[in-house]
Amino acid sequence: MNKKYLFLALLMLLLATGLLILPERHNFQQMKAENLMWEVVQPTRYVTVDQVAMMIIDGDPTLELVDVRPINDFATFSLKNAINIPFDSLLNPNYQGYLGIEDMNVVFYSNDDIRADQSWVIARRMGYHNLYVMKGGLNSWIECIIKPLKPDETASLNEFEDYEFRKGASIYFTGAKLESSDKKSSVNVVRRKKGSAVAGGC
Amino acid sequence: MGPLIPLEIITGHWDFVIALLIGGAFGYILEASGFSSSRMIAGVFYGYNFVVLRVFFTAMIVAMVGYLYFSYMGWIDMSLVFVLPTYLNSMLFGGFLMGLGFVIGGFCPGTSYTAAAIGKIDGVVFAGGVLLGIFIFSELFPFYEDFYVANNLGNVTIGEMIGVSNEVVAFAFVVIAIVAFYVTSIIEKKVRKNMTEYKFE
Repeated sequence: MNKKYLFLALLMLLLATGLLILPERHNFQQMKAENLMWEVVQPTRYVTVDQVAMMIIDGDPTLELVDVRPINDFATFSLKNAINIPFDSLLNPNYQGYLGIEDMNVVFYSNDDIRADQSWVIARRMGYHNLYVMKGGLNSWIECIIKPLKPDETASLNEFEDYEFRKGASIYFTGAKLESSDKKSSVNVVRRKKGSAVAGGC
Repeated sequence: MGPLIPLEIITGHWDFVIALLIGGAFGYILEASGFSSSRMIAGVFYGYNFVVLRVFFTAMIVAMVGYLYFSYMGWIDMSLVFVLPTYLNSMLFGGFLMGLGFVIGGFCPGTSYTAAAIGKIDGVVFAGGVLLGIFIFSELFPFYEDFYVANNLGNVTIGEMIGVSNEVVAFAFVVIAIVAFYVTSIIEKKVRKNMTEYKFE
C-alpha cells in the first residue's frame, strides 16, 4: 500500500481517537455583553397588559405566555394558556424546548416585572429571540384589566377608550356580568297646565 | 460562531449563493476525481474500481471528525445544525432504487451533471432523465405520500438512535472506512488481474 495513504489513514485514526479522549466540554452560545447591554436599556422588550389582553382575546397563535413564578403560585392563578417555567428552572434542559419555537413570541410575566425581566436577560443570553416582558406583571394585570378604575372626567379621550377596552376585557376574563348603563329611572314629567284659551283676539 | 444563518450572522438570503458556490466546488471535485466517467462509477458494482467508495467515505469521515472538533472548540453549535428527518421505508426503497440507477446508468445525479458539463452524451441523457424523474415524482406524489412519510423516525442521528455519543460514532466510522479502504484495495487488485476487456493505468 502507498505510504502516503497509510500516513493519512493513521492521521485520521489519531484524530478520531482524540475525540474519544477529549474531556467533555459544553460551549453555550451566548450573545456579546455589549449587545446584551444595548438591548437591556431598550424599552422595546416590554408589552403592556392591554396588548397581552388583546392578544389573548384575539387568540393570537404566536403568543406564548410564560409564567416564571413558583409552581404553587401558578396553580393558584395564572393567565389563560400560560405555561409555567419557574425562574429557578429556566436553565433546566427540559424546559428549553418551550423557548426556541420559531415564530412564537414569548412573553414572560411574574407578580411584578422584576423576575420576568431577569428571565428575559437569562433567555436572551442563551441566544433565544422574540422574547418580551409583560410590563407591571400580574399586579398591573389586576389593576388595569380585572379591576379597571374609571378615569377622571378631565382625562383624555385615549384614557376613556382604554377604560372601555379594559371593562370589556374584565368581563371576558372574569365572566362578570355587563353593567347596563340604561337603568330605568323615574323621570318627573312636568306637564304644562292647560291654560285657558287665548282670550281675546288680535 | 456557526452555523452562520441560524445564528443570524448572515441572512437566509445567502442560502442560494452559498449553495451555488458549494455546488460549483463539488462539481469541480467530482470531475477532477474522474467521476464524470460512468465506467469508474459502475466499477464499484463489478469490483474493479472503488474510487467512489473511497472519495465519499473520506469526505464523510473528514466532515464528521471536523465537525466534532469545531463543536469542541465552540466554533459551531451542533444543536442548531439541521438534521434531515429519517423516513425509514422511503429511504430504504430510495437507496435501493438509487443503487439500481447507479449500476444501470453509470451515474448518480451529481456526476451526471459533471459528465453533461464536459459534453458527454450519456451524461446529458442521464441528466435529462433526472429532471423527468423529478417531474413525474412530484406530479404523482399524492399517490404514494403515505408510503413516503411512513415510519418517520424524526430528525435523529445514528448516535441518538443507538444511544452512544457522536464521538463514538465518528470513531467507529473512521475504523470502518479504513478497513473498507484496505479490503476494497485487495478486491480491486484481484478483479483487475482477471480482467481483459479493460486496461488500467
